[in-house]
Amino acid sequence: MTQAIDTSIYSAVTSAIQAEAQRILSEGQVSAVVGYAPARRKGSAQPVVITEASDAGKLIFSASCVNNLAVYLTKAKKEIPKNGKIGIVVKGCDLKALVGLMGETQLKREELHIIGVPCAGVLASTFQPDKALTTETIAPKCRECDAQLPQGCDFVPPQQPVTQALEKKYAAEIARLEALTPAERWAFWKEQFSKCIKCYACRQVCPFCYCEQCLCDRNKPQMVETSPRPAGNTAWHIVRAMHLAGRCAGCAECERVCPMDIPLNLLNRKMAKELKELYDYEAGFEIKEKGPLSSYDEKDDQSFIK
Amino acid sequence: MAKEKVYMHAEKQKHSFEPKIIAFVCTWCTYAGADLAGTSRMQYPANVRVLKFPCTGRIDPVFILKAFQQGADGVLVSGCHPGDCHYIAGNYHARRRFAAFRKLLEFIGVDLDRLQFSWVSAAEGGKWVEVVTELTERVRAMGPMNEFKELALDEQWSGKLDSPELKEAYNAI
Repeated sequence: MTQAIDTSIYSAVTSAIQAEAQRILSEGQVSAVVGYAPARRKGSAQPVVITEASDAGKLIFSASCVNNLAVYLTKAKKEIPKNGKIGIVVKGCDLKALVGLMGETQLKREELHIIGVPCAGVLASTFQPDKALTTETIAPKCRECDAQLPQGCDFVPPQQPVTQALEKKYAAEIARLEALTPAERWAFWKEQFSKCIKCYACRQVCPFCYCEQCLCDRNKPQMVETSPRPAGNTAWHIVRAMHLAGRCAGCAECERVCPMDIPLNLLNRKMAKELKELYDYEAGFEIKEKGPLSSYDEKDDQSFIK
Repeated sequence: MAKEKVYMHAEKQKHSFEPKIIAFVCTWCTYAGADLAGTSRMQYPANVRVLKFPCTGRIDPVFILKAFQQGADGVLVSGCHPGDCHYIAGNYHARRRFAAFRKLLEFIGVDLDRLQFSWVSAAEGGKWVEVVTELTERVRAMGPMNEFKELALDEQWSGKLDSPELKEAYNAI
């Protein structure tokens, strides 16, 4: 049954973000603010970098503000003025990426002014931007969100999002796949990966894919075939999932930007689930220098090793 | 009465399928263990191809993937026992990485019986023989690993793009 989700706080959140951006820019606390602005299509939003206090009125927050802006602080960092602190508007899921990046010493907490957003959910990529947010049109990641109110930010508007428990689609799909035989799972993923056109949008949009040279682009030795054929596609998606294991906190941007609708976040959520079970580790809640795969315990399970 | 022929080694059994096993081993323990098995004249299947690495910590999951893609039917990863690593903690890190990688491969649909991890020290020539023999026989019973080989031969035909016109144009190439 489709139910509307209350997004009435978003207009108050928008004014609060604008006031905060205005304040920090005019006081010279930050040199730029990364946020969302309306885009050309009605109701849509796009990332924007503002450097003048007079532009603060451009900032908005709505159910169409889907992007994870943390990515602009890594690869695109060079384009954002580096003198001084940078303000950034983050939802709870985006904050987890920032926390991960700080743990990996890609960002420094003192160089950021984090504006958290109380978020009731955003639209799934498959729906038009001016659709109302309902239990039908909400992004799958928002169904399992545990960070509607970002913690540890410099500023969070006082509004409280109205939340409701929704059916967890990723968890259900993982359970469904786990119940299949290996051959059936192979057939499922083979079909999914065969759709891949190797556009690498998933890599470009991922805050954690910040390597200057990706292993998958190297050709001496070539580890992963680069042409968009089934063998290389499968290898790419396995390597991608493995490199994000224990780091990905589930902003699901990879899945959103995938032009071929490959359920990429399913792999990331599966790895997150396994690492939680194995090493009781969850990405994105506190700044940790070492992730589950860059640390160890002498008592780790080794029942699979002869 | 004709003299019965005496073989130096037990006669080799003929099999219809000889699996290719790739073993990624650490140079300090398992490689030395395999060497010990050899110098002790122990017999083990010749199906295993040994690749020597400085440490199990150097063995990237992508190597395992590559081995399967290049036609391996089974993969063995072997190194020093926990606590014995020449580089103090390489095998501890490897243990976590492979625990996670196994789960990922399982989720993708790879049969984990084809992938074996073991700790074999420099003194365990016997254990090396046992591990290799067991994996070879298990993979032999499972037959060839076709999944990755089929992928390598497959052309890209997305269901959505697969129109008769495109197919015709493609076949005309």
